[in-house]
Amino acid sequence: MSGETTNTSSPGADVVRQTMEVDIACVGFGPATGGFLTTLSRAWAENPADPAFESKVAPGMPLQVVCYERADDIAAGVSGVVTRAQGIRASFPELNPAEIPMAAEVTGERVLYLLDPVGASRRSFTLRAADRALRAVAPVAGVRDHAFELPWTPGFLNKHGGLVMSIGQFNQWVGSQLMASGLVQIWPGTPVSEPLFEPIAAGRAVRGVRLTDQGVDKKGNPEGGFMPGMDVRALLTVVGDGPVGSVSQSIDRELGTPRGYTHDEWALGMKFVIELPEDAVADSPLKPGTVWHTFGYPEPEIFGFLYVHPERLVSVGIFVPSWMTDPSRTAYRYLQHYIQHPALWRYLKDGTLRSWGAKSIDESGKVGEPFLTGDGYARIGENSGSTNMLTGSGVDEAWTTGTQLGEAAIELLRKGLPFTQKNLTETYVTKRRASWVERGAREAQNARNGFHNGIVKGMIGMALAGLTGGRLSLKAPRHVTGIKAARVEETLKRKEAAALAVEDGRPFHDALLSARGWPEIPFDGRLLVSHQDALLMGGKVQAMPGFADHVVFPDAGLCIACDEKTCIAMCSGQAITLADDGAPTFEREKCVHCGACLWNCAPSPHGEHGNIEFHAGAGGLHSAEN
Amino acid sequence: MESILVLTHADETGAALTKASLEAVSAGIELAGRIGASVSIGIVAVDAQAAGAAVASSGARLLGVFGEPFGQARYSTDAAACEALCRAAQATIVLAPGSSRFTRVAAGVSHRLGGFIDTHITALGGTANIEASRWFYRQRIEAVLSRDARPWFLLLDSGTHAAFAGEATPAQVEQVAVQLPLIRTTVSGLRAPTQGAQTIRPDAKLLFVAGAGWTKKQPDGQTHVPEAADLILGFLRGAGASLGSSKSLVDQGSEGQSVLPFLTHLNQIGQTGATPRHPKGLATCCHGEEPHVVGWRFIGERRAVSLDANCGWTRGKADVVYVADAFQVMAKLNALIGSVGA
Amino acid sequence: MQTALHIVVCAGIVPDPLQTLEPITTPAGPGLKNEMVLPAVLDPWAASALYEAAVLAAKAPGSKVWLVSLGPKAKLQQVMMTVAQKVAFELAPIDGPIGGFPDAHATAAVLAETIAKLPGLDRERLLLFGGWESATRGAGVTLQLVGERLGITDQFQGVDQVNLRDDGSFEVLERVEGGKHQVSVCAGAPAVLGWATGNLAEPRNNPQVGMANMRTIMPALQKAPAVKLEANGLSYISVALPKQQRTTRVVKDMSPDEIAAELAAWIGAE
Repeated sequence: MSGETTNTSSPGADVVRQTMEVDIACVGFGPATGGFLTTLSRAWAENPADPAFESKVAPGMPLQVVCYERADDIAAGVSGVVTRAQGIRASFPELNPAEIPMAAEVTGERVLYLLDPVGASRRSFTLRAADRALRAVAPVAGVRDHAFELPWTPGFLNKHGGLVMSIGQFNQWVGSQLMASGLVQIWPGTPVSEPLFEPIAAGRAVRGVRLTDQGVDKKGNPEGGFMPGMDVRALLTVVGDGPVGSVSQSIDRELGTPRGYTHDEWALGMKFVIELPEDAVADSPLKPGTVWHTFGYPEPEIFGFLYVHPERLVSVGIFVPSWMTDPSRTAYRYLQHYIQHPALWRYLKDGTLRSWGAKSIDESGKVGEPFLTGDGYARIGENSGSTNMLTGSGVDEAWTTGTQLGEAAIELLRKGLPFTQKNLTETYVTKRRASWVERGAREAQNARNGFHNGIVKGMIGMALAGLTGGRLSLKAPRHVTGIKAARVEETLKRKEAAALAVEDGRPFHDALLSARGWPEIPFDGRLLVSHQDALLMGGKVQAMPGFADHVVFPDAGLCIACDEKTCIAMCSGQAITLADDGAPTFEREKCVHCGACLWNCAPSPHGEHGNIEFHAGAGGLHSAEN
Repeated sequence: MESILVLTHADETGAALTKASLEAVSAGIELAGRIGASVSIGIVAVDAQAAGAAVASSGARLLGVFGEPFGQARYSTDAAACEALCRAAQATIVLAPGSSRFTRVAAGVSHRLGGFIDTHITALGGTANIEASRWFYRQRIEAVLSRDARPWFLLLDSGTHAAFAGEATPAQVEQVAVQLPLIRTTVSGLRAPTQGAQTIRPDAKLLFVAGAGWTKKQPDGQTHVPEAADLILGFLRGAGASLGSSKSLVDQGSEGQSVLPFLTHLNQIGQTGATPRHPKGLATCCHGEEPHVVGWRFIGERRAVSLDANCGWTRGKADVVYVADAFQVMAKLNALIGSVGA
Repeated sequence: MQTALHIVVCAGIVPDPLQTLEPITTPAGPGLKNEMVLPAVLDPWAASALYEAAVLAAKAPGSKVWLVSLGPKAKLQQVMMTVAQKVAFELAPIDGPIGGFPDAHATAAVLAETIAKLPGLDRERLLLFGGWESATRGAGVTLQLVGERLGITDQFQGVDQVNLRDDGSFEVLERVEGGKHQVSVCAGAPAVLGWATGNLAEPRNNPQVGMANMRTIMPALQKAPAVKLEANGLSYISVALPKQQRTTRVVKDMSPDEIAAELAAWIGAE
């Protein structure tokens, strides 16, 4: 079903857009949408003749279900994860990890507190004192390689029985089965720019999505080969576009958010996939399924992880959180220092960097839960507030919210009921509220409170919430996150670094950390490589021509006046750089779509909606081993 | 005993063998000596007698097809000619230059003879068995292979063997009759690209590689594309260099960005472009690692001007990397070679 | 009035050329490490052939484009999710090994057999398209061999441009030495054209084209016949990454004047 309509709502031009009618349009192909589509296509496959699955827009045909994904490939998901896989195993009871490349059963877990072997870490007086005490009793306490292993793994972190996976490979595995089912079409390389709103008696409904214009210049002006993005009209729009998705942003902006909603806790996860040497250290504990959680280094606020996949592959990475209020936030250089910590370097040092990636993680949890449904749409996955920051788990939760919406949609189809807010709430939201996802979210709700007052309080608060199932937590007020004004000497160092970045073409984040006393990285061309080289390794950054820049700085004056320029330091791909006039400039060809700039805009008072807009864009990291 | 046939063809004069053909001849003679095989040379030319003079001193048996139809590179006539020469020589091993002319037909000819072909051969080793070296995955993986089946056709990459340089003497070329097929294709000639000077010219001593950095924003926040174009063209003129480019720079053309107007895909080196074999290469504003850098894997001496000392394009790949702004260096360099050249 | 064309594009799938590649030995011979995990794309040269085919077909009403592709079924499906959005075609998939190391003659035999059996194909109108080389084997011979097997003796390689004429004949520009093009005129189909990069930009992703293609692509993939390729006496003695690593002198503290002087001397030296 298709046709053409003249649309005059776009600013500046009368654009003739193609339109297409489908039953269900999904935005973003990640674990949440994977769960939704798997549930739906399975029910259809059981009985394709079931009239419930007849298309309303193309009578006589099966349900018309499409899913649009920005990345060039559905395997381009950027995440190595460890998950309890409770929801995933519920969907695939016979799941054999060997069928999914890079997947392994969790075989062992450790939690390590990492001391600072370098002396550059920003540690408080209290923490330094504690470190000294720990070092003093090192032989008794079992401190080895500047790391102290917790005698047990707290239950809330425990992933025993779960899986170590590559999300890229998991997505691909799920996507292949979905495509082969014949009900679902998944289209990579197709960003969605916005939802289609339509006035109804009760306000506004979502009636599908508009795909992004192609054949435009950086600013979005039509040029050779202009192809206006198609309007895909749908009876149900499934919004699973992740933490920085443009459709999610638009719905929140246009249709509002619940009272008390804050969307202000974030972290940037950045990781390397490293191939261990064939002649690994004899006593190496890095067997497939091994999981390490670390904290304390390279900065007290930075948590780290190491997951071992089959075939000597290791995912190792860090989370740089938004509550690290230092304006010198960055990730790549920190990650290089992290892997060189003696407790990790002992096993990693002769390895080879195979790929690299980064993504923002929405850590707001329950308080960042938007309206889950509206007329014509439902929200699933990370942007629906499903990530549990107490257990550090998001994939399984996202998947499960997708399956819940899938079951809800089947129920409504079978009853012949429309996808109204009321009907979706009574089905999807009811299922979600009654599930382990919701229970976990409530337990985790206040688990991070203490971190706003420092790492020690934060750990205490987290332990308290974790060990009491959320019944107890620190009553510390939830701070607005953001970046504290820097001390005078800090400011001077930043200026020095900025000068280096402009004059020598040196990456800003790199110059910053050197100015702060971190040792230079001994590049070896194999595992320790420049940030630019990493962009070209294993996971290459790609940007198909003909799309507009998806990162935009609306007010250049505000950027020039900004002292912190955290967007530049935090940019995972060095896609944002500093120009002579002090304004940031954006290069689409280097952007990995991590979305860190969106919540690292220093002029923003709330950690979001600053002077950076993050639109839908095509491309990003094209990597297999992520 | 193997019977080696070296297929050769004439240049545009119709009466002299191409350099690549002479390279195949020396490869054939060397191989025949090593494995103890007989060797013949097959000549495709309007005047095979004249063309054969250059290889008469080789001592090989000379076979030729004669006539106007062989003055043009065309599948139907060339395939018929090569097939006839192979049959006449009863060859078990057929060596030929990997020229555009033979690359077009050799596979088809191997099939007609019930044989097999391998192309882009860079070295022929082995004594008991012939071991052929070639690259896979765009010059990223090197393999040595062998075949039991015969006849076995091997197309040699140009520049991998020295050209046969015997004294030219009148040749005795046995004329081989060819059953000409119906000719449905006429060759109207050669067309040089409009930007004649700026293509990859194998005869140049230096390959100048321009990377995408030339069109990116410079430290002042602006792009300087016209200035970049002047510097590059000025250098090509002054140094007589051949121009290669990275894929990312060539690709910008279809993106509607301001881009260097004289670059086309014919200039592209690397993963989906050429892998030229110039004695010297100078890379500027290039960045990348393994997949891109294959573009200058076969360049002799390599130097680079780059702002990033740790760049994968240069580290371990170039002999010298100058950490500097290419705009400044090239302006000075042009001034120097301009004055030398004047 | 243009004559309707029947264009068959032979296109392999290859690991995304930007990926890190490493050879390994498998029981079936050499292969790539993680071959099934690496993201795959349509071979870049064959992709230009496909886009050119679509443009030519659009100029001649009644024309049809087939895409014949040999590769592991799961990988083909993955690649089609992107390619199907570009231009309209009918897919003839063959479920077989991926990679550069199988013998080209065996590949050609399978392709020719598949093409000969394509329903509705008029061999007199056939233009056989493909890349002049591939990003895997890079041999540049498969298309010629398929052509020979189908009895086509007008063949062109390194094609950058084809100009169709009203009488069914066409002018071809083929890349030859020295950065030049050889210009030929062929009386018409059947012919083989191995494409270089051509002059077309990659088409935009068009969801409607994708939807229409997928209706035939998915059923075709389900029915893709599985093949085994013959070795044809081909054996590998070694397969390895090159070890050449140069010692790079890094010059950091020279002025542009000094660098220019050093470079000028180097360029001038024999």
